Amino acid sequence: MFRNYKWFLGSLLLLVNLSAQVKLSVKTIPKKVNIMLDGINIGKSPIINDRINPGVHKFEIIKSGFAPITYDILVNPSQAVHLDFFMNPIYQVKFKTQEKGLVFELNGEHLWDDPFIRLDLEAGDHFLRVFKLNEIIDEQTIHVDEPKKFNYYLKKPVSEE
Amino acid sequence: MKKILQYFLFFFLGSLYSANLESTFLVLNHFDKFLPNADSSLIENFSNSSFEFDSTFNILFEDIDNHENPASSYMNTIKELGAKHKVNFILCNQIKHVNDRFMLEGQLFNTRSGGLIYRRKIDLTNYINGQINELSMWVGNVTGSVNDEWQKNRESILFRGSEDIEYKKTPMGAAMRSLVAPGWGQVYSDKKVSAGVWAGTESTLSLAVLISFLKYDVAAKSYKSNLKLYNETDDEKEVAKYRASAENNWDDHVTFSALAIAFAGATGTGWVANSIHAWIVGPRAYKNLYQKWDPKSPNTTG
Repeated sequence: MFRNYKWFLGSLLLLVNLSAQVKLSVKTIPKKVNIMLDGINIGKSPIINDRINPGVHKFEIIKSGFAPITYDILVNPSQAVHLDFFMNPIYQVKFKTQEKGLVFELNGEHLWDDPFIRLDLEAGDHFLRVFKLNEIIDEQTIHVDEPKKFNYYLKKPVSEE
Repeated sequence: MKKILQYFLFFFLGSLYSANLESTFLVLNHFDKFLPNADSSLIENFSNSSFEFDSTFNILFEDIDNHENPASSYMNTIKELGAKHKVNFILCNQIKHVNDRFMLEGQLFNTRSGGLIYRRKIDLTNYINGQINELSMWVGNVTGSVNDEWQKNRESILFRGSEDIEYKKTPMGAAMRSLVAPGWGQVYSDKKVSAGVWAGTESTLSLAVLISFLKYDVAAKSYKSNLKLYNETDDEKEVAKYRASAENNWDDHVTFSALAIAFAGATGTGWVANSIHAWIVGPRAYKNLYQKWDPKSPNTTG
């Protein structure tokens, strides 16, 4: 009788714990992506009807060839959480110039002066700045929407033509 | 018989009950920009649900995350609204625009309990008809009828994975075409000048091969003929004449044979080189970036 009582209490505790959890669904584009919840791999997307405790959590979505996503979320009690993540692909981009003495800076962080380099860039817009003798001579946004090769040329400004 | 009656009763009550369960929504829209087709698109896309719209109600659009119990913050208000409009659910849609993005927050309240039962936040780059499409997707999730077309429309804003990108024209396609007909691959790559050069060169070389071979053939036949005549005659003059002709024919046949082989070699090598050239200059994704402006006069663009 005592043993049964313990089992009953244990089941009750488990039930209370389960019912306090929140339903979790995670979908991603592309599919079959590893989903890390608070550093633990909870499987590959799509994740349907998993469970999550209320509170602050961190999602990390990682797939080769795509920019990783980190997402912090505050899960409220009594809510079901459905998350959709769209992953942004990374494209292999070649950047070439025949101009001499130029230094290039991309997105304010990557610097190079080689006439030809290969870059792995996230799809979308990137900010290119060009320096000559420590002076900015050009600034422009480059749009990366597929693996491609960029050729950079200096051109006479309109005012001098 | 009794069982059939039971089944009939079950289906009758079931259909009666499901008829009463038709979802009725009070839709409260709160958009920072006017969306002309928002209401009509919901009515059009969800004919199995009935909608009533009220854009004057603002209290439900406060940030409920600041409340202690977000799901039960407005229970009484929701119940009152439900009773007033005689609806099962209240759907709150809020759209805010920030630069080239828009945020859609949808909340679904049950008027019987007054609680928040479903909530969706979407933060997306603007796309054609994106707000209406996202609104339809959100309501589709609520009513359980999501159209694949909406999903495809949404995916139109996404960049494709490298392996999913299909190029209509490829360097290999250009090489193969040039292997079939010199210059075709260059035309395919829109390199008209080099296409003309390759086609002209290969045509000339092929013509040279043909002419050399024909002359070789004529020389060889003449040699055989002159040799025969030389062997058959005893006349001194004729012997000298046929001998000289045969010797000329022999020299010509050797020369044109060597020329035909050389031209054939050049044609073959050129054919392969033309195909490799077509691959090298073949269509690839590239973009030329030119200096955009003069630093001394930043308003000019070049």
